[in-house]
Amino acid sequence: MRAVRWLVIVAGLLFAALPLVWMGLSSIKHRGDTISQHLRWMPAMEAPADPASSSFEATSDSYRDLATVHAGAQHSFWHHLWNSVVIGVLSTIASVALGTLCAYGFSRFRVPGEKDWLFFILSTRFMPPLAVVVPVLMMYRALDLQGTHLGLALLYTVFNLSLAVWLMKGFLDEIPRAYEEAAVVDGYSRFGAFIRIVLPEARTGIAVTAVFCLISAWNEYGFAMTLNSSGAVTVPAYFAGLQGNIEGMPWPQIAAGALIFVTPIVVFTVLVRSHLLRGVTFGTVKQ
Amino acid sequence: MSTTTDVRRHRGGSTIAWSLVGPTLLLLIAFNVFPLIYNIALSFTNRELVGEDSRFVGTTNYTRVFSDPLFAGALRRTALFVVCAVGAELMLGFALALALVREFRLKRAVLAVVLVPMMLSPAVMGLYWALILNGNYGVVNQILGSIGLPQPQWLTDRDLKFWSIVVVDVWMWTPFMALIALAGLSAIPPHLYEAAEIDRASRWRVFMRITLPMTAPLLGLAVLLRATDALKQFDLVMATAGPNDAATQTLSTLLYQTVFRDGKIGLGAAFACVVLVLVIALATVFTRYLDHLRRARET
Repeated sequence: MRAVRWLVIVAGLLFAALPLVWMGLSSIKHRGDTISQHLRWMPAMEAPADPASSSFEATSDSYRDLATVHAGAQHSFWHHLWNSVVIGVLSTIASVALGTLCAYGFSRFRVPGEKDWLFFILSTRFMPPLAVVVPVLMMYRALDLQGTHLGLALLYTVFNLSLAVWLMKGFLDEIPRAYEEAAVVDGYSRFGAFIRIVLPEARTGIAVTAVFCLISAWNEYGFAMTLNSSGAVTVPAYFAGLQGNIEGMPWPQIAAGALIFVTPIVVFTVLVRSHLLRGVTFGTVKQ
Repeated sequence: MSTTTDVRRHRGGSTIAWSLVGPTLLLLIAFNVFPLIYNIALSFTNRELVGEDSRFVGTTNYTRVFSDPLFAGALRRTALFVVCAVGAELMLGFALALALVREFRLKRAVLAVVLVPMMLSPAVMGLYWALILNGNYGVVNQILGSIGLPQPQWLTDRDLKFWSIVVVDVWMWTPFMALIALAGLSAIPPHLYEAAEIDRASRWRVFMRITLPMTAPLLGLAVLLRATDALKQFDLVMATAGPNDAATQTLSTLLYQTVFRDGKIGLGAAFACVVLVLVIALATVFTRYLDHLRRARET
């Protein structure tokens, strides 16, 4: 039984980690080694003499080449990473701010039809993006928001609101009302009590919510590809657009770029690891 | 209790309340309810992506959707995808959670590594898996070849590529199931197991009578969350096979193909409306279930 347990753990570890390890190895290869018929997994200082060798010459070329513009694209990887950062950060700030206010309203005030509104908010998360993409596309054409940072950031803000409201409501509900009441008795206004008492108490919740909003905006592909094919293209849409490239896929650069792209996510995942369960279940399940 | 009521009934409370929740609700209505209604209107027209021509065509689009073999195929494939991918994720995730539930050294580190795939971008990772599974130079086939096994064309073989995408989805989302199953397993009170030990119940019996029923509600929640997500499967298919591959086309990629490649907005809108009815059905089950869970926890 013990052996089976460890077998499962090791298999799970390898299955999760090996593709990422392979990505790391690919990123320090020359292109020829990424599309070699032979298994090349041992980094070496110089190119092996034997072509059937399992080692390959390690190089940092791919990281340098992230600045090159590939055939079929208009900008380098860094440009698209910057787009991802701008859109991700803008939309995260907006959805956390709006979501916190909205959750506070539901948590502390009597809102007529509260339950129905909350379920309406949650239900928007189940909307298939492609069911609304055509009307959104037409709206954006009319408002001239297609291919802009603002347009995509706005869309991700709305998309993440359901998550932000539900997560923040869970966190705010845990803060005793007595804290604010004491502050109001001490002469704070309601707004003052919210800023000085509630927000500092909710900082963990705000950080966790921000991480989940950022990750979902960071990873989004459907809207990024359909609405922003010309301007403000994010990394997922940029990478996908390299398919069918006449020069062939620049695999080492893709591996290097993907590695840079997923590193912040891995760091954030580790940081919020004790709140992951809450994040993926909209705050309905707590650890 | 009385103070709570006082705060809740703060003078002008309802104005404050609406100004707090109002902006969020308005945005959600503008970006969800309005497009939905617009979409329904479009589904009765022959509107195309290029040009302004838009005529009322009655239910023609809906008749086409229901008689379209592509739609029937995509529907069947999506259902198969949801059942197989989510089913495999549930079983593997549950097994992983069972192995991880007891304390051991480095448990936190192991968990962090195991959980990472579900946080990554499906589009980017899907593209990278296309390199890993490449028939000629992918690492999987290199390993298979070096130990003398056949090297299947994972992503180009008609009968195989659908299953390759299922495998990538399982890679991404098994951690999700494991995370939720682990929470369920950790919450089982130890005295239940102690009682079973006193009764000398067999391992199988303990599993069927204690472990499974005690984790079932959370697993159900996980399955519903995953199923509604898998129903929208788009990114992985786009990254590995593209939108117009007959062997892997899902509802979402068919919709994309119809609207953005064929330019048929009216027909695409009708597709979307039909898909939406399906999603609403699933989401209703989900919200009912959440409600049921909450009530069960309160009592």
